[in-house]
Amino acid sequence: MSSDQHSDQPPESGAPWGEEESVTEPTSAVATHEGGDAPARRAEPEYTLVGGDWEELPDAVEDDLMVLNMGPQHPSTHGVLRMRLTLDGETVVDNEPIIGYLHTGIEKNVEFRPWVPGVTFVTRMDYLSPLFNELGYCLAVEKLLGVTDEVPERAQIIRVIMTELNRISSHMVWLATGGMELGSTTAMIFGFRERETVLDLFEQVTGLRMNHAYIRPGGVSQDVPEDFVERANTVVTEIPNRLQEFEDLLTENPIWIERLKGVGVLTAEQCLDLGVTGPPLRSAGIPYDVRVTDPYCGIETYDFDVITGEDGDAYARYLLRIEEARQSVRIIEQALERLQRTEGPVMLQDQKIAWPAQLALGPDGIGNAQEYISKIMGQSMESLIHHFKLVTEGFTVPAGQVYVPVESPRGELGYHVTSNGTNKPYRVKVRDPSFIHVGALPTATRGLLIADVIVAVASFDPVMGGVDR
Amino acid sequence: MSRDTNPNVTLGETAAMREGDLELERTLPDHLVAVRDRLVEAFGNVAEGDADGLEVLADRRELTVVTGPERLIELLAFCRDDPALQCELLSDLSGVHWLGGTHEASAQATTGWPTYTEQRTGRIEVNYLLTSISHGHRFRVRVNLDDEAPRLPTATGVYSVADFLEREVYDFFGVVFADHPNLQRILMPEDWEGHPHRKDYPLGGVEVEYKGATIPPPDERDY
Amino acid sequence: MGLEAKLPNGVLLTSVEKIINWGRAGSMWPATFGLACCAIEMMSTGGSHYDLARFGQEVFRASPRQADLMIVAGRVSQKMAPIVRNLYDQMPEPKWVLSMGVCASSGGMFNNYAIVQGVDHVVPVDMYVPGCPPRPEMLMDGILKLQDKVKNEQFVERPRPGEPMEEFRRRTGWIDPDPSVEGVATARFAPRSGTRAGRRDTPAGADAGPSQEG
Repeated sequence: MSSDQHSDQPPESGAPWGEEESVTEPTSAVATHEGGDAPARRAEPEYTLVGGDWEELPDAVEDDLMVLNMGPQHPSTHGVLRMRLTLDGETVVDNEPIIGYLHTGIEKNVEFRPWVPGVTFVTRMDYLSPLFNELGYCLAVEKLLGVTDEVPERAQIIRVIMTELNRISSHMVWLATGGMELGSTTAMIFGFRERETVLDLFEQVTGLRMNHAYIRPGGVSQDVPEDFVERANTVVTEIPNRLQEFEDLLTENPIWIERLKGVGVLTAEQCLDLGVTGPPLRSAGIPYDVRVTDPYCGIETYDFDVITGEDGDAYARYLLRIEEARQSVRIIEQALERLQRTEGPVMLQDQKIAWPAQLALGPDGIGNAQEYISKIMGQSMESLIHHFKLVTEGFTVPAGQVYVPVESPRGELGYHVTSNGTNKPYRVKVRDPSFIHVGALPTATRGLLIADVIVAVASFDPVMGGVDR
Repeated sequence: MSRDTNPNVTLGETAAMREGDLELERTLPDHLVAVRDRLVEAFGNVAEGDADGLEVLADRRELTVVTGPERLIELLAFCRDDPALQCELLSDLSGVHWLGGTHEASAQATTGWPTYTEQRTGRIEVNYLLTSISHGHRFRVRVNLDDEAPRLPTATGVYSVADFLEREVYDFFGVVFADHPNLQRILMPEDWEGHPHRKDYPLGGVEVEYKGATIPPPDERDY
Repeated sequence: MGLEAKLPNGVLLTSVEKIINWGRAGSMWPATFGLACCAIEMMSTGGSHYDLARFGQEVFRASPRQADLMIVAGRVSQKMAPIVRNLYDQMPEPKWVLSMGVCASSGGMFNNYAIVQGVDHVVPVDMYVPGCPPRPEMLMDGILKLQDKVKNEQFVERPRPGEPMEEFRRRTGWIDPDPSVEGVATARFAPRSGTRAGRRDTPAGADAGPSQEG
């Protein structure tokens, strides 16, 4: 089915879904539009396996420029990102990022499932920080339900711990892949080793190493095990030493400094105009952190600093991310101490919304607790019906539209959720920071050498799952 | 504990939207009241009789300002430049398609919501989410478009981030942005037909086969 | 006794098939083809905790021309499918494909317009590893099973135990000698879709011979 669309025949005429749309043909990469009309039609668009419009690109027109295609399969482009570089020698004159190679239609898929299973879809968008995706979605659903204040405090603390741990593991992966793309396999081995320690914690709590579906609307799906606090403390006291190892390897390293300083610079005005948030914006000097401006889960009650840099280049962003990981350690230590003092449920008490299952560790892994199963199967028909209804159909959410941002390791991750009063989401639009940052790449990479383009892309840390959704 | 013994839940009560709460939700926090007043002062308010003014909505402590395509760019530029508003960031630009015709919105009886019928003309709403870092406020500018041939002027002159965001809205909803520097499909292949996030576009997908049974794809199921 | 006593030290006796298969299985270099979440687990598998290099997958080659194994890790979208095929075609023989995760094996949870429901619509797959994402141990299990499969590959078709020759010839598509051609041996087995020599790579399967698990 997929090979047909790239055969040499022009696409079929007539829109199969009743759309009278005249703008389905692509335009060439450098065409501009006159008169503000719909994009120019071409007579007979031809599609080959490798693209259709190479005759119109600048290098056919001007001899001095060469167009080079980088990606989508490339060891250093941070995922399936394709960039069409227009080069003058080795200097980039223009960079057109082409995305969509991982588009999964998650936003549309969520419209056909009840609200709680939406968490499992949404968690796979930005796959390096899945708990942030879940958190943003659940906060938006809770805002629509109006139950933000009724989420138990223990659940809030656990959410903060898990998301800050996720921030650390995401920054580790950034260091690992960033180092690998620059040629330092040592950084890669170190980074993945650290990530394993954090993933062990995740597995202990949620059951999975990645894509957890742990944070649910109303709280979290199950409580942490008894020895979690000690194990988390062990991990978290070790992480600053490991970060120091990274710093010893890289920060004063002349190769690292040469390759990262002055590359991918975006000034503060450019960042704001291009919608760039997160580490790139903070490295340019603006202390914008969603945890401070729109706090969630009680994070304003923790003591942490918002790190800013000055130069706005890749080196500043590197230092910033290491510092941010240290601040996350600080938050987690405070939260763990608070967790020990706080008792209580981890899910909303409103029985019409709370996920009905009680999970516990059984002989064959984590599943429904024996007492709960015996209650719904043997003792109370009403509980069984209640459980069944809430799990298959789910709760209904009153109609409305909200926007809830969270501070993901990449930037401001926003969830713009619309409900029409039913048990399924009507529209979930995810404002993913990586999508915006890829749009900022042309400005950030103009005038760089090809090797620097890789560094600039890595310093923005785009995750293609979030870009393409 | 089951529903009839839990003191927090009364049978028949709707989830968390009790009458008193509905009133609370319609009020805005103070910083957004200042924003609303500034916008209404500059652009007028439809509720007070200005025909081409703004429609102001407040829900869940968020401010939404509805305008028409003609005044959109002026409004966005005002929000960016006015010292009281100073919205440096366009956080999000997204679309929602409300399909025209009559539909049954399925709810379910467990939480007490009735099943209701919706009837409307088809429209696509495009939402611009503006964030001010210096003032710390966030609000939404909305434009409602007809879903037959939706057109809007481009916002790339005001915020460059609109480049990719508008391409996405074009790709998924078919909204044509006039004067956009590069209006092509961004996430779907260039020769794709149809606009996937519209409600009249099917989810696609295949039947899933099990031993002796098949399950239809999610958009064809009836639960 | 017998031959073993006559052999000097350091001489290995084997069949060509076995030793070539052993070489291929023991040094199968994957191509970097991580797409989505499974790619991160694949990188973890190659990392130091779940070291994949001890099974011979020493380096992940960036260029498909130098790679033997394509681990399709992640969901394949409609836009990416021709590129998967392009890369597969660029890999030289012998090559194998391991589809990692449920999205690559069958479309996974994304049963919709944007995802190819199984990368086997695009390339022929030798091993399917389910999971969302599969744990590194699961991926290693899949790789080891693939190595077993490679070690048991047959270069030439052999009769099954107890199979009469007539049956064997019919099953494998024996082509009788052509009497009109003088002096040239034209009798042969038709290349088979399962064996390496006869692999036809189109998903629809163009060859007319009977197919068999290879």
